[in-house]
Parts: sequence; C-alpha cells; structure tokens
Amino acid sequence: MNTEALLRVRLSGGYSGSDVLRDLMFELQPGEVVGLVGSSGAGKSTIVLSLVGLLPWRGGRVTGEVVMAGRNLLALREKELRAMRGRSIALIPQSPMTALNAAISIRSHFREAWRAHDKRGREPMLLRVRELMAEVQLPCDDAFLARRPPQISVGQAQRVLIALALLHRPALIIADEPTSALDPVTQAQIVDLLRELNRRYGTTLLYISHDLISVMRLCDRIAVLDQGTIVESLPVSEVGQARHPASLSLLHALPVPPEALLRFRDQPARNAETLCELAEKLPQ
Amino acid sequence: MSLRRGALWVLVGLILTAGAVVARPGASYAHQDREATLAGSSMQHPAGTDDFGRDRLIRVSAALLISLTGSIVGAALTTAAAAGVGTLAAFGPKVVGWSTMLVCDAFLALPWMFLLMMVRSALPFTMSPAHSAAITFLVLAALGWPACARAVYRGAVAQRTSGWMLHARATGLHRTQMIRYLLPNLLSLLLPQFLVSIPAFVIAEANLGALGLGISEPLPSWGGMLFELNNSAMLLETRWVFFPLALLVVVLLALEGTAAEA
Repeated sequence: MNTEALLRVRLSGGYSGSDVLRDLMFELQPGEVVGLVGSSGAGKSTIVLSLVGLLPWRGGRVTGEVVMAGRNLLALREKELRAMRGRSIALIPQSPMTALNAAISIRSHFREAWRAHDKRGREPMLLRVRELMAEVQLPCDDAFLARRPPQISVGQAQRVLIALALLHRPALIIADEPTSALDPVTQAQIVDLLRELNRRYGTTLLYISHDLISVMRLCDRIAVLDQGTIVESLPVSEVGQARHPASLSLLHALPVPPEALLRFRDQPARNAETLCELAEKLPQ
Repeated sequence: MSLRRGALWVLVGLILTAGAVVARPGASYAHQDREATLAGSSMQHPAGTDDFGRDRLIRVSAALLISLTGSIVGAALTTAAAAGVGTLAAFGPKVVGWSTMLVCDAFLALPWMFLLMMVRSALPFTMSPAHSAAITFLVLAALGWPACARAVYRGAVAQRTSGWMLHARATGLHRTQMIRYLLPNLLSLLLPQFLVSIPAFVIAEANLGALGLGISEPLPSWGGMLFELNNSAMLLETRWVFFPLALLVVVLLALEGTAAEA
C-alpha cells in the first residue's frame, strides 16, 4: 500500500439483512480525480455515506477503515468526525433540491456552514462567499443570496452545493452523482467546473457516477464497482483495455467508442456544443 | 375573499369592538345596576344585564378579550413545549424518543376533561380572580401539549432522515445549528397546531367555567356566563342570556375558519 495516499479505504458493510459493500478497497492520491463507476445498486451511495461516517443515519452499518492523514475516520468519535466533515472532506450530493434546506436562504446556508468550522465572523465569510460565487459562476448580489432553494434553478442549486463544498478548502471532495439531476448542457458545465477547480487548487476528487461519459471527461483514473467491490481500476487513457465483464458492459453502453470521448476530453464545453453534439460529428 | 381571510376579519372586528366597549369611559364589568337586574335590551344596557345588574355587553366583551388572550398565550406555550419535546425526542437517543412518545400516549389516553376538572379543583378556591384566570389557561397549556408533541415528533423524525439534514451533517454542522435549521421546516406543522389549540382552549375554558371551575367571579368569562343558562327560570326572563353563547359560537367558528387553511 502507498503510504503517501490521501485516503486509504477498506470497507465492508450494508443494511440489516443485506451486505452491500464486500471488502471494498481503494486509495486516492493527493490531487487525483478518481471516477467510481457502477450500475444502479452497485453500492455507490453506500460508499459515500460510509466515507463520511453517515451510514448509521440511514440505518446501515460498516466495518473496516477509512484512513485519512493517518487517522481512521471510522474509529473517531462523532465530535471529531463532525470537525472533519465539511473542513477536510466535503460532499457534493446527488439531488441539489433535496440537499438544500428549502426553508432558509442561500445566505443562511453559507453562514451556517461557515460557523460550523470558522469562528472569525461575518467579514471573512462574505469575502470567501464572494470568491466562491465567482468560481462557480453564480451572482453574489443580496437579491440572489436572499433567495431560497425553490427560487433558483437546479443547475444553480448544484453550483451552490459545489461552493458550499469548497467553502473551507477541503483536501478531499466526494461528488455523489452530482450531474444526474441536470440537463446535458449544465452537466457538461459542472464537469468542466470540477475539472477546473481540481487543476487550480489541487483538490482531490472522488467522483461517483453511473455516467461514464462525464467520468471520462473529468477523471484521471476509473474504478469499476460491481456487487459492492471494485473489480477493475485503470487510468482513463487505458479504459479501452478494460477486461472485467462489469467494465465491458458499461463501455458497451456508451454511444461512441471510448477513444472518441477521450479525443474531446480536454475541450471545454460550450453552451450548445455538448458531448452528444461532438459525438455526432465523429466519423462512424 | 378566502374563508380564512373572512374569518380573520370577523375575529379582528370582534376584538376591536370588544376593546372599544371595555375601554369606554365609565365601563366596568363589575358595576352592579340594582335598578335593572336581568333586564332586557335598553339604551343604557344594549345587551341587557345579568341577575346582579351587571352590563352583559361589557362582560361579554371583557370575557372575549380575556378568553382570547389566555387561549393565545396558552396555545403559544403548549406549541412551544410540544416543539421542544417533539424535537428533542426525535433527535435524542432512541430510548428517549420511545419513552417520550409513551408518556404522550399515556397523556392522550387519559380522560382529558376529567383530568382538567381534577387539577383545577385541586387548586385553592380563595385565589384572586386574575390568578384563577392565569392558572386556568396554564393548566390547559400544561395538559394540551402531548397531541401536538406527537405530531412534531413525527415531522422531526421525517426531517432527521431527509436529504438536507444528511447534507447538513456532511457539512459538519453542530447539533444546535441543525435544530435551528430544522425549525423553519417544522413551521408548516407548528402553525396549524397553534391555531387549532386556540379554539380548543376557548371551549375548554368555557366548559370549565360552566362547571364552576374556571375563572373566578367577578372577572367575566364565557364559562361564568354560560353558567347562567343552568337556571331555566332566568331563560324565561330575557332572551339576552343566550347572547354570550351565540357570540362564543361565532368566535369559535371564526377561530376554526382562521385555522382551516393554515
């Protein structure tokens, strides 16, 4: 095992009567973007909750270890784990509209998330929020910050969640299918935004998705999840050499060959020029 | 105009009229006009007088204001208590939630009216009328919270496993922050509970008063005035003895209407 890894994971667990994760093992290197792909029911969301110690809140149980900076997160007390959540590990959840509190303003979301880990008060918070809103390409005026989640679009809500995840400059961001609720144009923009943030700040990103197109656009490495364990892990550039049936079935579901997607990997998405349109231009 | 808005206007109109009647110079709910006992409507006493010669309009107006003030304060207290108990039960250890709900069930299984009578009759009868009014509504508030706490508990448990709560935990929010986060989400549950408690407390006070266990004389109360209806001989003297009852029904309908669409 690499001792330099930012995160070292070995997990087993699930819910009463069913094992979802079976001796699942992987590592994340600092600054790396890893895509964890798998079909529905493969255990993706269970991994997310396990990594941040929240599986028991959904009635699950987990054993093993999640080692980050030499500390096993699963062995920490709730108080210590709380201090790490949002500050060292942040989460970008799947459904932006349900993940934000519909009853309070966007500003309150930032204020509470700030107060959870930083006691420096209002001014540094406003400064940081202004910086982040520019990063995620959202307006930072009072009128926007006073809006509540139902008053903004799904794409804007997802950007707010990304900004919230970045608030305390965490070393690791776990993105749990962050584009699944979005239209293709916004999907491509969010993927590019995450890629840009990783390039600029070197934030390690664990990108969990069933959408191989966005994974190939964003990630350095792909880990294929099947029946609660990682069956294959390889660099994105070598994805065509995948041999496991689970990997192959994901690759076969792609509308174009993986090599074609890799060719357009480093082109930023423009509004009307989505991956699908790019794919149409490819020679058959 | 919606039913709710109409009911609210009726209620505001009644409160303003009652306030104007009570605040009129020389108006006293305890003044006895010995020349006109159990009188019908007149210029001096538009709604007649009771058997002590006290002006019925002033007494009904004062009763309306006392009853509504007491019921609103009582409902606010009981809703706040229910919000606290329900939320703590939902967010505390499982055993706390389970045992709190058991206590609520036990409370709800008790014969509520009988319990009120028992508690109220255990209190000394020598206390001042103002104290008797305060205690009556406090007793109502103290006994009224379990049903509301149950509803809050169910709502808070649903919120505990919601997506935003999970995200709040993943953001590292403190427990107190999450409860502050939670309260605006429970408002849609607490507001109807509060509004429904008000007419319930108005009628409960009237029932207690009619049994002689409510607000003490000479302070006017719905119950005290409904007590007059026990005397069939008095009913024949003047139809105005039904005035407090009629107004009580109007107030209750207005309160129920206000709570209807909340």
